[in-house]
Amino acid sequence: MGRIIVMTSGKGGVGKTTCTANLGMALAKRDYSVALIDADFGLRNLDLLLGLENRVVYTALEVLAGQCRLEQALVKDKRMTDLVLLPAAQNRNKDAVTPEQMKQLAYALTKKYDFVLIDCPAGIEMGFKNAIAAAEEAIVVTTPEISAVRDADRVIGLLEAHRIESIRLIVNRIRPKMVQANDMMSVSDVQEILAIPLLGIIPDDEKVIVATNRGEPLVLTNDVALSGMAFNNIAQRIEGHELDFLDLDAPYDTLLSRIRRFFRT
Amino acid sequence: MTSDRSMPAALTPEVSGEQREGLGSEQRNFPVNTETQISFKADQNQLRLYLPTLTETQGNWSELCQQLQHRLDAGHRFWPAQGEVEVMAGDHLLESHQIQQLAMVLSSVDLQLRRIHTHNRQTAVAAVQVGYSVEQPDPNRLTNESAAAEASPSPISSRLPYAEPLYLQTTLRSGSEIRHPGTVVILGDLNPGSSIVADGDILVWGRLRGVAHAGANGNHQCQILALQMEPTQLRIADRLARAPETPPTQFYPEVAYIAETGICISRASDIPHTPHYQKP
Repeated sequence: MGRIIVMTSGKGGVGKTTCTANLGMALAKRDYSVALIDADFGLRNLDLLLGLENRVVYTALEVLAGQCRLEQALVKDKRMTDLVLLPAAQNRNKDAVTPEQMKQLAYALTKKYDFVLIDCPAGIEMGFKNAIAAAEEAIVVTTPEISAVRDADRVIGLLEAHRIESIRLIVNRIRPKMVQANDMMSVSDVQEILAIPLLGIIPDDEKVIVATNRGEPLVLTNDVALSGMAFNNIAQRIEGHELDFLDLDAPYDTLLSRIRRFFRT
Repeated sequence: MTSDRSMPAALTPEVSGEQREGLGSEQRNFPVNTETQISFKADQNQLRLYLPTLTETQGNWSELCQQLQHRLDAGHRFWPAQGEVEVMAGDHLLESHQIQQLAMVLSSVDLQLRRIHTHNRQTAVAAVQVGYSVEQPDPNRLTNESAAAEASPSPISSRLPYAEPLYLQTTLRSGSEIRHPGTVVILGDLNPGSSIVADGDILVWGRLRGVAHAGANGNHQCQILALQMEPTQLRIADRLARAPETPPTQFYPEVAYIAETGICISRASDIPHTPHYQKP
């Protein structure tokens, strides 16, 4: 039986879909079979990030309506044969499916795939309820901004109320330089508020934008990017390996800044 | 670049295992039902608005209203001023506020709701309450075929194999879908994420960047025509093709049709020379 993991955040634009695409790819690269479910009905994006938009023939909605089989709707990735995407319908809204139906789909996929990652829409309404219905684990994505952290906090509360056992945190778009200068919340500041285990830290990276627009998840590109490494590390932590977090501060950790920090604390 | 684009290879026929299978003979939802949206029909001096049957809309009223507004806006130049509209509600249960909403949407393009045809008693009562005349089929006559046909919410299929062409002046944005049991003409663009499903041809006087499905009832002769062909996907009858990975740099008006090898695209100016076109 595969593991069902939902990627959620509450706030929009913090990188849920990017994380889902990259983690899915990273896990597939580590020889797991992975199914990604886009739960963002009406505003689907996951197919774009994976570069699979023009291969979508059927969507989850048609599967649920009995108009096609589940296997027919799954879009195989063109680079990783072990990765499939179940696209959301674009012409409907979140009320088009029920939590029960999402459970059906996710459970059906766990029979064949090691990991089922669900890309949750922003917000805490119907789409959110659908996305978390089947999940056993949750990954909360946030950025180091008070608004994102506040929303993440609310979402964690809802996930706990929904009896989801494992809730872990990814802090996305950290800028070490700004953290050093005390202009940005640090990871420990975020963790202090949210108080859930940290799964990964992803630095802010322009390459992510390039990768998104090309429809090629970052973990697949060959040039070494810190953010790509961060995703690979997260994939290993999901597997259960203990890994040290990337030292993002290293390039900025000069003697001067150490002295400054010494006096600050 | 133009020469290779007129070759069948310009489009990638779908060959990856699962999806090919999905479009093969065992495909279950083919032909695609195109009669799931509202439609207009002009009858003498009357404009009739047909609501799709309840099972097709699944009772989603707000979506239906949105669809109506979109259709009305997309044909704004052609509605007769102060024109009178009869709504063919079929088995829909409309409450009085919903009838008023219909009237309001219609009035936004200067059309007037005049009469409601319904099978539903409660709808009839609600319509009378808000002051519209009602036509209900006589229950004794309901077995009579002509009466049933008159009140039927999908008028088109029972009379002609294809409905009148649907002409829309609008840009179709991501998420909007037009379904029509005939030919569709769009004066505007088809953005990525939008789709047209038509039983007949599809003509796009603009950029085609979304999904277009012509001949959805299985007609292989149907074509897709666009001023600028950059589709996400093209489908004709049970065939499917994707755009090439590297888009062409220059565009001409083009036509997509089914040849022996699958869907291919030719420049519109070359079309008279292709054998397909010469077929009767």
